[in-house]
Amino acid sequence: MLLSVTLTLLEGLGTTLQLFALTLLLALPLGLVIALGAMSRLTPLRWFVSMVVWVVRGTPLMIQILIIFYGPGLLFDLPLLPRFGAALLSFIINYACYFSEIYRGGIQSIPKGQYEAGEVLGMTRSQIFFKVTLIQVIKRIVPPMGNEFITLVKDTALVRVISVYEIIWMGESYIKKGMIWPLFYTAVFYLVVNGILTLLFRWAEKKLDYFR
Amino acid sequence: MPVLEVKNIEKHFGATHVLEDISFNLEKGQALAIIGSSGSGKTTLLRCLNFLETPDRGQILVNGETLFDAADPSTQREAEIRRKRLHFGLVFQSFNLFPQYTALQNVMLAKQLLAQEQPEYKARKKEINAEIEAEGRELLQRMGLADRANHYPHQLSGGQQQRVAIARALALHPDILCFDEPTSALDPELTGEVLKVIRSLAEQKTTMIIVTHEMAFARDVADQIIFMDQGVIVEQGPAREVIERPKQERTRQFLARYAQEH
Amino acid sequence: MRKLKKAVSLILTVAMTLSFAACGGSSSTVASSSAASASASASAAADSDMSYVQDKGTLVVGMTDFAPMDYRDENGEWIGFDADMAKAFAEYLGVEAEFLEINWDNKLMELDTKGVDVIWNGMTITDEVTNGASVSEPYCNNGQVVVVPADKAADYTDTESLSGLTFAVENGSAGAEQLDELGIPYVAKTTQADALMEVASGASDACVIDLLMAGAMIGEGTSYPDLTYTVQLNSEEYGVAFRKGSDLTDAFNTFWKEAYDEGTVMETATTYGVQESVIEK
Repeated sequence: MLLSVTLTLLEGLGTTLQLFALTLLLALPLGLVIALGAMSRLTPLRWFVSMVVWVVRGTPLMIQILIIFYGPGLLFDLPLLPRFGAALLSFIINYACYFSEIYRGGIQSIPKGQYEAGEVLGMTRSQIFFKVTLIQVIKRIVPPMGNEFITLVKDTALVRVISVYEIIWMGESYIKKGMIWPLFYTAVFYLVVNGILTLLFRWAEKKLDYFR
Repeated sequence: MPVLEVKNIEKHFGATHVLEDISFNLEKGQALAIIGSSGSGKTTLLRCLNFLETPDRGQILVNGETLFDAADPSTQREAEIRRKRLHFGLVFQSFNLFPQYTALQNVMLAKQLLAQEQPEYKARKKEINAEIEAEGRELLQRMGLADRANHYPHQLSGGQQQRVAIARALALHPDILCFDEPTSALDPELTGEVLKVIRSLAEQKTTMIIVTHEMAFARDVADQIIFMDQGVIVEQGPAREVIERPKQERTRQFLARYAQEH
Repeated sequence: MRKLKKAVSLILTVAMTLSFAACGGSSSTVASSSAASASASASAAADSDMSYVQDKGTLVVGMTDFAPMDYRDENGEWIGFDADMAKAFAEYLGVEAEFLEINWDNKLMELDTKGVDVIWNGMTITDEVTNGASVSEPYCNNGQVVVVPADKAADYTDTESLSGLTFAVENGSAGAEQLDELGIPYVAKTTQADALMEVASGASDACVIDLLMAGAMIGEGTSYPDLTYTVQLNSEEYGVAFRKGSDLTDAFNTFWKEAYDEGTVMETATTYGVQESVIEK
């Protein structure tokens, strides 16, 4: 019984991890674009981006999932997106906004003197970014990113509101068969995944510890 | 012909006039000290020379070439500014070393990046890098830091960091090396080692502009001194004369106040 | 105007779903929810819904895991009284039945946005669904019953005796409506099974679930042998819900009458032990 439950939950975990990995893959670069928009010299662009970030960060992810999945059909009679696609889209938008704030914080925490030192040494903007500030930004954003990654793993549980069968949905389905423990057993899977993430981030922090 | 000619530079931030009608010349191999209280505009002047600020009026000429003319936008193109600022080197008050690079890498980085843009770089890669490294090590040795080449900035004292920063600025062979209060961020016991290095640079006839609060040092090391107050040059002359026999009342007051505080 | 109504309804529905998902409990939201869903689906099916389903070749059945109406056999195949009849109805239409487990809170939104084509899952006919969807003629009798631990059943035999108990109930369900009418507060859960789990774990004293489900899931020889059901709060009927204005509703009613006359309905009902609840046609 333990084996069959484990196999079923692993199937759900597959969906959970797919959502996790694809969200990272697309939200990490999108977040950087949003961060650059939020720091742009074009005032209207900056306002627009800040507004979007404010709305996305200021509303529950669950509402965003519901709106993205049901909204087009309810408002415009459009066909629905695939469930997983809608879930992924909500997560990408939501997490890109959170990531953008982390990037922005990291970029803005680099002392002005680092840019100026690069400039007076005749470096181009891109040389300064890639050779001077990038690794410093990365060092600063690794700890907050670690927190976001772990939150993301747990947030994937929300997609069951639109019937994406992730691990908790699978666990809950046993309740109907009179089995309560599989639901609680899902926690073990989250712990393992987040344990691996924690180790990875600890390793990354250590790797970057050679400078201050 | 002077190495540097500064003509009628003006700079304001909003309504505040930070620099007004600043003009002076600097001859090759000479050291110029700029003194004055905080807020007198000395640092802004250095930043204008290094293109970190754009003057609102005036011209800057190096070796007779007009590097900057506020009235001529063609002198302010970003791509060319990069080349032009290589005439100057700047040593910051707070060092601004790159923390992720060792002392040697800090000294070599800019030179390597410039070398990579040369057409013959690919063919002579190894050779060029070896040259750059040899020169970097030699510079560190001149700074008394030969044994610190592979240390990261956070493993060095403030005085050592500032000497690495000087080596880094020298690596690009600037026509004019600028110092922005190079010892102000240092503990008093560490200023000596940095001043000693600058003094030896002066002895080797390095063309320098030094913004400093160290009056004795300015008197002994600089050839010329400019005293600035509230954005204007109040007095300008041979170093010893300005410190020991100032002509202007404001210079006398400043020096008296300085003598009292130290 | 239509768009505006829909926008308002989306906001209301989302708010409702969230308020339930957050903690439930407040019974006042139940009334507004039916109004919201009603306008949401007011104009869903424009042309023939039947040709829409036949064109795409599948009838998407929105359901939950709800034995004995819909559940999986050992091979993972959906079976049950509702599931088997849904397959038969799909065949009648000349399409494939596709079962989709949905979040029951969102069933009317699923229907309206064409996430599913029919809700067929032991669904009690309530005001909420008749306002929000086109509901078939009833096909099964049902009631809401109070479930308590078997050793305490003797103390709770009428509605008056229930007032001191803490209750769990599926939010927005017929059972919740009954408790609202009695003025009994409760904890709202996502499914009836969750509500049962509350009682089994001792988190709540009692829950209210469908008679049909209680018959199949609690008592000796089931997953919850220590529970039993006592008071029946009401009588009600199961129906199948289609999109507002859909021609599938009539098709269903015709299909059901024929299947009943042929004996298929009773035969299937007997397989799953619900033959006594089936309404005579």
